[in-house]
Amino acid sequence: MTSVDSKPSTVNNYQTWVAKYRPKKFEDIIGQDEAIEKIKTYFEKFPKVKKKALLLGGSPGIGKTTLVEVLANEIKAELFELNASDFRNKAQMQEKLKPVLEQTSLFNNKKLILIDEADGVSGTKDRGGLSELTSLIENSPFPIICTANDVWGKKVSGLKKKCEIIELKEISPSQTKDLLKKILELEGKEVTLGVLNKIAIHAKGDLRSAINDLEAASSLEHPEDFEIDSRNKKEDIFNAIKIIFQEKANPKMLGLYDKVDMPLDEIMLWIEENIPKVYSGEELVRAYQRLANADLFKGRIYKQQYWRFLVYENIFSSYGISAAKGDTEKKGLFKYERPGRVLKIWLNNVKHAKRKSIAIKFSKQTHVGMKRIMKEWKEVLPFLKNPKIQEELKLEADEIAYIMKY
Amino acid sequence: MTSEIWTEKYRPKTYNEVAGQEDIVKRLEGLTNSMNIPHIMFAGPAGTGKSTLALIVVKELFGETWRDNYLELNASDERGINIVREKVKDFARTKALGNVPFKVIFLDEADALTPEAQQALRRTMENYASTCRFIMSCNYSSKIIDPIQSRCAIFRFKLLEKKDVIKYLGTIAKKEELEINEEALAAIYEGSEGDCRRSVNLLQSTAAVSPKITVDLVATILSNVKPKDIKIVLEYALAGDFEGAKNKLLDVMLKESISGQDVIKSMQKEIWNLTIEPEIKVRLTEKTGEIEFRIVEGSDPFVQLQSLIASFVLAGLGK
Repeated sequence: MTSVDSKPSTVNNYQTWVAKYRPKKFEDIIGQDEAIEKIKTYFEKFPKVKKKALLLGGSPGIGKTTLVEVLANEIKAELFELNASDFRNKAQMQEKLKPVLEQTSLFNNKKLILIDEADGVSGTKDRGGLSELTSLIENSPFPIICTANDVWGKKVSGLKKKCEIIELKEISPSQTKDLLKKILELEGKEVTLGVLNKIAIHAKGDLRSAINDLEAASSLEHPEDFEIDSRNKKEDIFNAIKIIFQEKANPKMLGLYDKVDMPLDEIMLWIEENIPKVYSGEELVRAYQRLANADLFKGRIYKQQYWRFLVYENIFSSYGISAAKGDTEKKGLFKYERPGRVLKIWLNNVKHAKRKSIAIKFSKQTHVGMKRIMKEWKEVLPFLKNPKIQEELKLEADEIAYIMKY
Repeated sequence: MTSEIWTEKYRPKTYNEVAGQEDIVKRLEGLTNSMNIPHIMFAGPAGTGKSTLALIVVKELFGETWRDNYLELNASDERGINIVREKVKDFARTKALGNVPFKVIFLDEADALTPEAQQALRRTMENYASTCRFIMSCNYSSKIIDPIQSRCAIFRFKLLEKKDVIKYLGTIAKKEELEINEEALAAIYEGSEGDCRRSVNLLQSTAAVSPKITVDLVATILSNVKPKDIKIVLEYALAGDFEGAKNKLLDVMLKESISGQDVIKSMQKEIWNLTIEPEIKVRLTEKTGEIEFRIVEGSDPFVQLQSLIASFVLAGLGK
């Protein structure tokens, strides 16, 4: 990162196009009429609403934060912004919120609290954060709007119950192109239609990145040479595994997973699930062997805390999986799926939670480990049906019911 | 109160009730007579009397108050060494009741701890050496780090002899008024792989179906128990159905809550029953050994087993 502080003073009046053309009113916002209507209705009714907070969902750069800022502007409310890191601990959050909740503003009393990127708050690592956030929602006298990239993701599942959900519409390339054209006109600049199309398509609805790209292209001497910088572009997991499984193996793949916003452990689950969707026969065997090798090094990292092994884990799980099909590519459409193993394990644990609670009681009574009893479950099950033993183990009615079901 | 669970009801309560392990019993008796024990390690297969003898030792030492002076922990059930240390700390904080100047902590399945966790445990043992004695049990003493081994008197338990187990089962059967013959007793012994505790459980499970126990009845109970599904996994794989095999594998592992190591053990045995060329049998065994090694080393069992299944698929294609 370059330092912002060392910016020369001559550029102080300079505004990026993104800032300059940020909508100020509802009518400036493109493609979100439906969401705007919903939000307006919501604030007309507030506080007589079923759920005390709104959750705005939509991919990055689509205009979630902008929409909230415009709203604050239109309803003349003061906007307070909080982000995920403010929820790390209770004291910190309350410190931050004090001015919001105590100080009444001079001219009016309308306030709006924005929690940007709420999916960062409620991740599993911040369980506490999520409960802080939900209690804030329940107790706040002011409306709260949260934003999240994926409202269907599990990161916000806890939050969703407390919020009315409004999803922003995907912006089409042609809508993006119209906006870019308008900006070019206002700036008195030109780029070729080819570049314009390229930027609009590549943006995939991310207006912020489209405007940034446009500004970059128009500042070139030969805008037609403009190459979209995809280095920092986040790669979608579906797209990433498609590249690995279908394209010819090439060394560029080694950096691919860095661009995916997902830990490598989780990516490995995606690979595991999808290998048999694309590969068969010897390819399949090789691919699983590579995955097993990657996993082997992963285990060694954990065990020995020697992080250079990560290099091998990465090579095996990217290039290695790709090269399992030889020096070829795979054309065609494959139906990639989300990993099912974790879900299955979870479902199974729920289903057999009783077995575990019984095993714990049995374990205490017989000086044997609980896990061992789980393993030998079928060997003890027949006599667990004996009411005297059930009484001795002090089994609950639901535990007895679980045993008798067999 | 006597327990209705036979492993408890008929658990030996004194040294002379213990079957087999004569040398160990003699040595332990000497120690408890002097009312002082060192740290102790019991190494040996499951169901050979390790927990039983630990219980007898504390009963000999503390008499009536043994429950107050005895803490039982299971290393594979506790979540991490820190929990173990906390529990030890809590327990060791107060003085022993009675005439013996120390308390006893029984740490079962100590070999489930990683070497790092064992190092931490070693510190704990040192810190509470004045107030606590440890009795550790493990299947293999080689999995216990040297510094701990050198602090312990080591007792190696042998698998019980068939006649001892059968005699013991016979005594229980008589007291429970079961009708059972030598042959059925032998079947129970075989079915539990020499593990005395499991054989008593199997006897009780069989008796729960009928007090007249025949070889056939034992066989029926055993066939319900054995993870025969592993065979199906391999059959799918050899027929070229990788996804079928993989899904079945996950099902079996979850439903029966069996570990990767148990699965691979069954697979290794099952290779002999497959109709494939001798050379391929050897190659699959080689692969199985490698995968077992990795799982023991701590890799994700499911990922490793999938790669093994993939090898079986290939073998099924005659490659």
